[in-house]
Amino acid sequence: MSRLSAAALLAVPAIGIGGLMAYVRSPYVTNQQMPVEQPIEFDHRHHAGDEQIDCRYCHWTVEKSPSAGIPSTTVCMSCHAQVWNKSPYLVEVRKAFFSDQPIPWIRVHNLPDFVYFNHAIHVNKGVGCATCHGRIDQMGAVEQHAPLTMSWCLDCHRNPEPNLRPAEFITSMTWAPPADKAEAAALGQKLKEEYDVHSRTSCSTCHR
Amino acid sequence: MNTKRDGVPSQDTSSFALPVVSDRPAPAADAVGEALEHAAANASATETGYGRTYWRSLEEKLGTPEYLEETRPEFPVGADLAPSGFVRREFMQLLGASLALAGATACSTRPQDERLLPYTKTPPEVAPGNPLHYASGMTLAGHTSGLLITAREGRPIKIEGNPQHPVNQGAAGVWEQAYLLSLYDPNRARVMRQGKSPRALRVLAEDVANLVNKAAPADGGARLRFLTEPGNSPMMGDLRNRILKKLPNARFYSYTAMTQDAETEATRALFGNQPVSARYDFAQADVVLSLDADFLESRPANLTYARQFADRRDPKNGALNRLYAAEARFSITGGMADHRLRVKSAEVLAVAAAVAQAIGGPAASVASAAAGKAQLRGTSEEVQKANAWIQAVVADLRAAKPGRTLVIAGERQPAAVHVLAQAINSALGNTGTTVHYVQAPVAEPFGLAQVRALVEDIKAGRVDTLVITAWNPLYALPSDAGLAELLNPATNPDRAKLSVLYTGLYEDETSQYVDWFVPAAHPLETWSDGRAVDGTVSIAQPLIQPLFNGMPESELLALFLTESYRPAYQMLREYWQGQATGQADFESRWETWVSEGIIAGTASPAASGAPDFGAATALVSGYNPPAAPAANELELNFVHDYKVFDGRFGNSAWLQELPDLITKMVWDNAALISPQTAKDLRLEPGAMAELSYGGQKLSVPVWTTPGLADGTVTVALGYGRNGLHEVVAKGVGFNANVLRRAAAPWFDGGATLTKASGSYKFSLTQTHWRMENRPIALDMSVSELAHPSKETEHILERVQGELKPGLQDNLPSFDYGNGYKWGMAIDLSRCTGCSACVVACQAENNIPVVGKEQVARSREMQWLRIDRYFEGAESDPKMVMQPVMCVHCEKAPCEYVCPVNATVHSDEGLNDMVYNRCVGTRYCSNNCPYKVRRFNYLHYTSGKTSTEKMLMNPDVTVRNRGVMEKCTYCVQRIERTRISARVEKRLIQEKELMTACQQTCPTQAITFGSLNDKQQRVTQLHEDERAYKLLHELGTRPRTAHLIRVRNPNPALEPAKSEAATEGSH
Repeated sequence: MSRLSAAALLAVPAIGIGGLMAYVRSPYVTNQQMPVEQPIEFDHRHHAGDEQIDCRYCHWTVEKSPSAGIPSTTVCMSCHAQVWNKSPYLVEVRKAFFSDQPIPWIRVHNLPDFVYFNHAIHVNKGVGCATCHGRIDQMGAVEQHAPLTMSWCLDCHRNPEPNLRPAEFITSMTWAPPADKAEAAALGQKLKEEYDVHSRTSCSTCHR
Repeated sequence: MNTKRDGVPSQDTSSFALPVVSDRPAPAADAVGEALEHAAANASATETGYGRTYWRSLEEKLGTPEYLEETRPEFPVGADLAPSGFVRREFMQLLGASLALAGATACSTRPQDERLLPYTKTPPEVAPGNPLHYASGMTLAGHTSGLLITAREGRPIKIEGNPQHPVNQGAAGVWEQAYLLSLYDPNRARVMRQGKSPRALRVLAEDVANLVNKAAPADGGARLRFLTEPGNSPMMGDLRNRILKKLPNARFYSYTAMTQDAETEATRALFGNQPVSARYDFAQADVVLSLDADFLESRPANLTYARQFADRRDPKNGALNRLYAAEARFSITGGMADHRLRVKSAEVLAVAAAVAQAIGGPAASVASAAAGKAQLRGTSEEVQKANAWIQAVVADLRAAKPGRTLVIAGERQPAAVHVLAQAINSALGNTGTTVHYVQAPVAEPFGLAQVRALVEDIKAGRVDTLVITAWNPLYALPSDAGLAELLNPATNPDRAKLSVLYTGLYEDETSQYVDWFVPAAHPLETWSDGRAVDGTVSIAQPLIQPLFNGMPESELLALFLTESYRPAYQMLREYWQGQATGQADFESRWETWVSEGIIAGTASPAASGAPDFGAATALVSGYNPPAAPAANELELNFVHDYKVFDGRFGNSAWLQELPDLITKMVWDNAALISPQTAKDLRLEPGAMAELSYGGQKLSVPVWTTPGLADGTVTVALGYGRNGLHEVVAKGVGFNANVLRRAAAPWFDGGATLTKASGSYKFSLTQTHWRMENRPIALDMSVSELAHPSKETEHILERVQGELKPGLQDNLPSFDYGNGYKWGMAIDLSRCTGCSACVVACQAENNIPVVGKEQVARSREMQWLRIDRYFEGAESDPKMVMQPVMCVHCEKAPCEYVCPVNATVHSDEGLNDMVYNRCVGTRYCSNNCPYKVRRFNYLHYTSGKTSTEKMLMNPDVTVRNRGVMEKCTYCVQRIERTRISARVEKRLIQEKELMTACQQTCPTQAITFGSLNDKQQRVTQLHEDERAYKLLHELGTRPRTAHLIRVRNPNPALEPAKSEAATEGSH
């Protein structure tokens, strides 16, 4: 009995701490699987999925800037001045465009302020959009796909090969590495060399 | 006294090597005795300052009890205190409360929604997240310097010098750096007002139109006056001409604080009343004599001089030049001099005349005109020494090749000294080699004479309307200029007859007496142009829309044309279009001018004719020197402040907290006197005294500065500001303009300083740490470096010698392979101590300002400090400047004491600081031998207004309270450059990556790069024979190398030191 209670005494804090650690890593805390409702019902399923518009058409700075960029209202209107230009869904877009007021989109992927992530280097070194953002083309409202925890970042920085893809498929939502493990590893190795990938793990790579 | 209250270790500290602060009541004498013992124990007999005495303050040099007590523990008092304003118990209560609330916040895991606001239409040049750089300019005292400004998403965040500008060449001084802070200053004026009522621009425009429409036909604007800054802007000059066309009888007067009255007067006399200015070429000068000329200070106009001069201080570039300086104050130019003569300012004329007399030629006749105007005074020994100095200078000037010398007179000196300097230059054949006479960029006269004329006009009742666009004349003018009395209704019964319009960035001392106040647009909010000292025109483009509804000066003056409104941009463009008539494709030329920031080929042409010393001799013989001070009187010297200039940068917290270049004082000015004078007057540093001169009295705190001329008192202008809304500047220091008189604006005898009751607490950064006689800042003569004496060899061995592995190698080695291995080299030979790097670092790295009281507790936050060491006798010391920031040790003492791995080694040798891991134990700081870590004792960045937040560099974390920080080698720049290079699959080029301090350094004293690349300059400097590592013997293996400063003394003046050393070794 005393042995049991001693074990319980030890176990309760251990389970408690373990539980807390599991909790902070759970999607509930990392904000995964929570579709975010936006001020305008923008549907990536339609744009990226059905229409097959390349990610870079709207997020055009992704290859040259730390930020992938939220498209300006002009980008929306470049199509929607012609198509669906009377749709009630787009009232807010037109209003924003003609009143020259920004659309207040809600941020889905929100890193802490002391983390400096750079899209350009990742995209240029063969990390595809879908690798981190998931199947955007299947999301009605965009949700955070990856946990965005530091260990998740480091997993890839320590072993980037499995997450590399050929540049021509960089924005592809459906590209998958070869099913054969050896083949996939060989491709990863080849791309790593070809793109001159040197993923770094020094603190100042991301924190400064 | 502040002593440690919590966590006092065992009361018995006798067994510890280092004294520990305790709150045990101990007799004061005992404390001093203990400190003396400590000092004695640490100063080994064989190493008394390694053959020389380096010291940073008089107290240290003399070992006064106060000093020893103050620095008794290893850390100054207060360094180990818990943050004030919080009691531990209270903290626990709050912690409990926040823990309780933590449960509540945990219910909603999603942090508050952050909004992303895209552009409606992204400007084509903007890629959000990437910086853009725009060329612009800053006009100060008749000179426009070229700037290159970094903007992020429309917000300017950093100012650098324009590399294409012939004067800046990429460098920028402290004022240009801090220019940005004034743009975002929340204290700036926002309301246009007439009297106390806010007014719309329309009302002002109507008012002005009515005035002009009435005056133009009646008297041609005869009752209208303008007081402006010197007109170095071609566009404004054109505007002025057009106003004068409409109102031919109106008058423009120009004034700025740093007047070149004397130089202009001299050159006008030399060139038959033509506006001519002298430009100097220090690159060609082997021997330079500065007659009270501070040509190395970082004022925008001096940046080229500093660079040229520094290039001649590097032994790798050939033989060193030799600088002689004669001055009363201790300037940074004096600090760089090989030989410095302390003379009263009035006696500089005597020095100049003596040199001119001895040189002969055209100089001799000018010199004889100056004979008897001034003479060297002092004890016969002093006079003899000064004469020997002059003779040595003359011999050196004569021995140099013709045309390879340079004599330069300072702005504070009268025209007679300028004439003498030019006469010596002419006699030595320097005209055309080191001295070039060019047409002055500002053709009109400007200075105190202009103000005098204006005051006479007003007094005679000839003025109805006065428009002031010059900066704050009521503050900046000498007390007897008379303008303040005329504008103040209390002292001028006819004030109601005069209508005054004033435009400025702030509601200041002048604005309180004006009828119309127009908030000015910051120059970075509008289009303008201006000439540099060499005549080159810069187009200064705006970086942002006016934040506080300011009005550009050009648009304000254009109201007097009563034409339809044209924005400043249109005026500027049309003016230059008019200038380019007949030349094809104006559009592309304009685009080039704006993008490069300069109009190529606009440098001033050479002046026609040769200097006529005959005419100038009359000027010299007509000079009426100020009366020499009587036996018990002092010579009062006014100088512009190195930080706030004439006061116009007073509201810049960066500059107020920048340690003064020489005294290392922050947030204050003081009456500076030499140690001998202090002794004679029985004044202690920090004592209050009464400074009386010309019937005026001023209560001033006194500070002693070694190296000042005895019998002089030097006060910096620009303090004691009392502007209505200038919150930062308000009440800092005292206003020396109260004593200043127009007849002697820069120096005069007849001042007395008498001890008053009370004392004053200064905040100085130089006494914060103690050097314990270690070889830290090194300097030696070239000959000593080439043939080191035994003693020098011993020092070199200590700072450069091979380290013994095992003994000094307690950490594992890193393998850097073929990657980058970041390192830095700082050449003390080049460093003048101008502190531009300190402010550049502050701007780049979001470093907060902490205030005077916090600095007094050693809590200053600047990552980069410039240590100023004196060497030699306390009356006439030499100076060595040494910039110190984190040296990124290979074996870093900070890294292995951090309990949370918040400071770690990167794979490229950086000593990374991870703010989000830091819990604030401060172990790293305690273990850092260089004392370069800075701790956020309080939340210094809280309470920033929304405009101030726009200034922040988004690439650098804004640190919170309780976090340690330090120099990162500008890691954000490294990473950004690395990414762009890696995207292009190439290596980082040496030229594309510069740290903020390196980039701005006017003398290129700081070099940064990868030590793995043998071709890079930094690697070569690391391998230079002068390179040494700070505290090398500790085995920390710094990545920053300092290069020994070399001096080039004249053997005729240098006491035979090596002999003494040899003697000692036997």
